[in-house]
Amino acid sequence: MSDVDRSIAEAPLPTGGTLRRRKSLFYQATRFVAFNLRMMKMVTRAHH
Amino acid sequence: MDRVVILGAGISGHTAALHLQRQLKNKVDIVVVSPNSNWNWIPSNIWVGVGKMTKDQVTFPLAPIYKRKHIDFRQAKAVAIHPEGSAGTGQAFVDIVYTDPTRAGEEEQITYDYLIVATGPKLNFAATPGLGPDANSWSVCTAGHAEQSSAALEAIIEALKAGEKKTLVIGVGHGTCTCEGAAFEYTFNVEHELRERGVRELADVVYLSNEYDLGDLGVGGMTFAQNGFETSSKMWTESLFRERGVRAILRAHVERVDPGVIHYEVLDGSKHTLDFDFAMLLPPFRGVDMKAYANNGDDITDNLFAPNGFLRVDGDYEAKPFEEWTPEDWPKTYQCPRYANVFGVGIAFAPPHAISEPRKSPNGTVISPAPPRTGMPSGVMGRTVALSIAERIRHGGEAPLRTASMAAMGAACIASAGTGLRKGSAAAITMYPIIPDRKRFPGSGRDLSQTSGEIGLSGHWTKLLLHYLFIYKAKARFGWFMIPE
Repeated sequence: MSDVDRSIAEAPLPTGGTLRRRKSLFYQATRFVAFNLRMMKMVTRAHH
Repeated sequence: MDRVVILGAGISGHTAALHLQRQLKNKVDIVVVSPNSNWNWIPSNIWVGVGKMTKDQVTFPLAPIYKRKHIDFRQAKAVAIHPEGSAGTGQAFVDIVYTDPTRAGEEEQITYDYLIVATGPKLNFAATPGLGPDANSWSVCTAGHAEQSSAALEAIIEALKAGEKKTLVIGVGHGTCTCEGAAFEYTFNVEHELRERGVRELADVVYLSNEYDLGDLGVGGMTFAQNGFETSSKMWTESLFRERGVRAILRAHVERVDPGVIHYEVLDGSKHTLDFDFAMLLPPFRGVDMKAYANNGDDITDNLFAPNGFLRVDGDYEAKPFEEWTPEDWPKTYQCPRYANVFGVGIAFAPPHAISEPRKSPNGTVISPAPPRTGMPSGVMGRTVALSIAERIRHGGEAPLRTASMAAMGAACIASAGTGLRKGSAAAITMYPIIPDRKRFPGSGRDLSQTSGEIGLSGHWTKLLLHYLFIYKAKARFGWFMIPE
């Protein structure tokens, strides 16, 4: 097993709860708003 | 009336053209020279490559937009710059050769008062024997390439459905490639498609990259603050690879692609082969083939362009070791030092050095990513240079230039990991600044409050939203300028 394979094999696996949250329409809608606000803040900063 | 010639109509050049026209209306003569008749929203080529979008959904013809905006569009490629003009005239000009089918091969000289070089990259498939859609691997660099990849992938899926085992290799086709993010996206979109089609079990999906670690992405990796801990993009990306069962081969320089076999060297100098049934390997980039001449006819290409073919601008190009790299090395105004009316933006400007730590194998092979200059910074550079030129045209040649250093700019990157309004996902990343500044931000070199990454369905929605927003903006429809770069 290579170093890369070993490192991947030892990486943390998302729990069932995390996987459900990644697909949850309600939770993801909140993340959509949060990420886009963060992105807008960054874009605004990049333009000045 | 001043004439501004813009070479290239990609994200950077097209953005510059639209902003210049908006700023100066009929007080400027804008000429856009591009060998392509269509504009392409390149980030969505990934979805064309898995058959989820068509070529027509990610491209549109430029000519009607420029006609509406009174911008002179020449479908042609620039072959030479004469920044001092010819003997006796002093009027700078560019040589172009038409690619427009109605004037194909016709040559012309176009004079300019200001020149913006936004020619993007030359897709340098020739750097690796056997690389590219004309040889033994596929690409998603253009919408046409992505369509070819989609057709090849479909054939593989049919074989998998028939019970055959297949190996799909996706990554970069040379040790000095950039755009690892696009290879990452295509890997996970293909993996997603295989699962959706019920054939994932028979497919071995391999990511082949020149990155030292997963999550490097050509920006030296990132550090995120999550749940009270500092998390590396390495661990974060490895987690996704483990979850989705994708193998990775890193620190690799592809030497040659034979039919069904990739020959590669890794950083320890050892050489290997990898058999494949489907390979999508991105090419390295270099500047387009353009020459430059002084007014006495002397070839000054090496003065204007770096050895990699990209235009030298106001960066610090002195060769120095990684430990001495600073954010101040990076260009701010994108003005050519020798000719004040020439600017280089987007992928066309020469970066002073990489962002990821440079590495060589014991055989002397460079195996480390070149710095990415993706959509957001390219658009910002195009706009910034357009505003600088507009102010110089309005107020004279000494008006101060605007700045947009990648060391003072953040970026958002949405790396798709699968499509579908309910089943899609993407890694949504923000980073500030793009160029790490370890004096201002000890440790990772980036502001932890503005550097983040999360995976989920909302990332896919954001990428889809950006697809529609940026095509709307590029079509210069009502209020286009309110959509930031």
